[in-house]
Amino acid sequence: MIPVSGQALAAARKPLWKMRHSWSWWSIPSLLLLWMLLATQFPSYILPQVWDVAGEGLDWLRSGEIWPHAIASLLEEVGGFGAAIIVSVICGFLAGFYRPFREYLVPINGLFMAIPPIAWAPLMLIIFGIGYTTIVIVIFISAVNPMILTIMEGVLQIQGQEVRAARALGARRWQLFVYVYLPASLPFITAALRIGFSQAWRALVAAEMIGASQGLGWMVSTGGEIGNSRQVLLGIVLIGTFSYLFERLLFRQIEKRYEVWRLT
Amino acid sequence: MQTAESSGGSDLVIRDLHYSYDGNLPIFTGLDLQVQAGEFLAIIGPSGCGKSTLLNLLSGFASPERGRVQLRDRVIRPEDPGLGYVFQRPNLFPWLTAIENVEFGLRMSGMPAAQRRQRALHYFQLVGLAGFENYLTTRLSGGMQQRVSLARALALEPALLLMDEPFSALDAITRETMNDELLRIWDTLGQTVIFITHEIEEAIYLADRIVVLARPPAGIYRSHGNELPRPRSSQTTKTSPLFWEYKKRLIGDIAAVMRQQPVDDAELVEMGLSVATDHA
Ligand SMILES: Nc1ncnc2c1ncn2[C@@H]1O[C@H](COP(=O)(O)OP(=O)(O)OP(=O)(O)O)[C@@H](O)[C@H]1O
Ligand SMILES: [Mg+2]
Repeated sequence: MIPVSGQALAAARKPLWKMRHSWSWWSIPSLLLLWMLLATQFPSYILPQVWDVAGEGLDWLRSGEIWPHAIASLLEEVGGFGAAIIVSVICGFLAGFYRPFREYLVPINGLFMAIPPIAWAPLMLIIFGIGYTTIVIVIFISAVNPMILTIMEGVLQIQGQEVRAARALGARRWQLFVYVYLPASLPFITAALRIGFSQAWRALVAAEMIGASQGLGWMVSTGGEIGNSRQVLLGIVLIGTFSYLFERLLFRQIEKRYEVWRLT
Repeated sequence: MQTAESSGGSDLVIRDLHYSYDGNLPIFTGLDLQVQAGEFLAIIGPSGCGKSTLLNLLSGFASPERGRVQLRDRVIRPEDPGLGYVFQRPNLFPWLTAIENVEFGLRMSGMPAAQRRQRALHYFQLVGLAGFENYLTTRLSGGMQQRVSLARALALEPALLLMDEPFSALDAITRETMNDELLRIWDTLGQTVIFITHEIEEAIYLADRIVVLARPPAGIYRSHGNELPRPRSSQTTKTSPLFWEYKKRLIGDIAAVMRQQPVDDAELVEMGLSVATDHA
C-alpha cells in the first residue's frame, strides 16, 4: 500500500556496526539499579527488591492468574482505542475537508479536551455499572478527541500543490483520496495513533482503579488496598511493558515506512 | 464568426476574459487570445502580471468571472487527459520514487503496470535522469526535481501542454539542453504548448509567437510572430540577425510595460534588462 520502493528504504538503513553508540541503552538499567539500591533501605513489604517482584510475576504466571487481568485490559484497550480510531479517522478527515463540519466540531472537541477523561468514570459507573462497557467508554472519550484534532490538522496541512499536481495528472475524486490524501496523511495518522493509544492506556488504568473487578489497573489498586507492594509494582511494570511493546512493535514499524520521505 | 474560427483551425480560444482574486484588484479585464492547434506560444511579462493566473484559468483550476476559455468548444477541466501542466515549482509526491512520480498520471488513467513503466522510463531518460529512477524525490536537486516534473507531464502525451516558467530553477547549461529536448519532443508529438518565461532569449528560441503581458489589468501589450526557421539550434538560431532583431523589440516592449508603473531596478535586472534602461 505504501508505495516506497524497497531499494529506497534499504538505502536509508545503516548496518548495525555503523550505528552510533546510543546512551539509551543505559536508561532502563540505571533505573533498575537505583530501585535495587533504594530497596536495600526499606523492609521488603514496603519496597520489595527487583527479584522479589520478578518472583511475584512468576507466581502469577505459574498459577495462570495473570491472564484474565492482562486479557481484560487488552480487550478494553482494543475496544475503546479501536472505536476511537474509526471515529477519529472519519471525523478527522471530514473536519479537514468540510469547513462547516470543522467549525461545528472544534468547540465540542475543545470541551472534551478540557475535562480529564477519568472524570467521566463515575457517571459511566452509575449508568453502566462495573465492567467492560464503562471502561471502554472512558477510554474512547480520552483517545478520540486528541486523535480527531491531530488528523484534522494534518489534513489541513496537506499541501494544495500536491493535490493540484495530482488533478492535473488526471486524478479523480476517489483517486485523489487513495493516491494523495492517504499517503500524505500517513505521518499524522501515525502520530494520532500514538497519542490515542497512550491516552487510552492511561485512562484505562485509571478507570480500572475506580470501576473494575479485574485488569492491570485493578491489580495495582487492590494491591495497594491489601498492602501488597509486590503486586502493585508488578502491575506497574506490566502496564509499562505493554505500552512499550505497542510503541516498538506497532507504531515504530509504521513510522519507519515513511520516515525516509518525510520532509526534512 | 464561430464557423470562421473553427475553419481557421483555431484550437484554444480565450474571449473577453475577466478575472480578479476575491473581487480585489482585477487581473484581467477582457483578455482575448487564440492559440492554434500545435502552436508553440510563449508568454512573457513582469513578475506579478498574471501569467500563472492565466494558466490557472486555462487549465480550469480557476473559473473566469466573465468570458470564456475553451478548447475546441469545450470548457477545460484540470483532470482532462489531454492537458499537461508543468508548475512553477516541481510539486512532486515525496512518498513516491522519481520514476513512480512520472508514472502517476498513467496510473490514474489505468494503464497496465508494465506498459506504463516503459513509457515513464522513456520520458525519464528523455529529460536526462537515467539512473535516478528509484531515488526519492527529496533526494534530488532542485533542477532534477523540475525535470521529473516535466517528464511527469510529458508522459501523458497531452495535446495541450501548459508550462509555468518550467526551467527558471535550472542552470544555464541544463536549461539550454532542456530547451532543445523540449523542441525535439514538440517536433515529434506536435502538442500545443503555452510556455511562460522570464527569459526573452528562451521565448524567442522556442516559440512561434510571443505574447507580452502588461501589468494588470492591462492584459496583452503586444504579440510578436516569430519567423525564425525550424529546426532551430542554439548555434545557428541564437546568432542569426533576426534573433537579435526580435530580442531588441522585446526588450523595448518590456521596458515600455515596466514603465507603465513605477518599478524598482531589481525587477528590471530580473527581467534580464540593464538598470541603465531609461526610466522616464
Ligand atoms: N491566491 C491569490 N490570492 C490573491 N491574489 C493573488 C493570488 N495569486 C496571485 N495573486 C495576485 O495576482 C497577481 C498575478 O499573480 P501571478 O501569480 O499570476 O503572477 P505571475 O505573472 O505568475 O508572476 P511571477 O512571474 O512572479 O510568477 C499578483 O499581483 C498577485 O498578487
Ligand atoms: Mg507565476
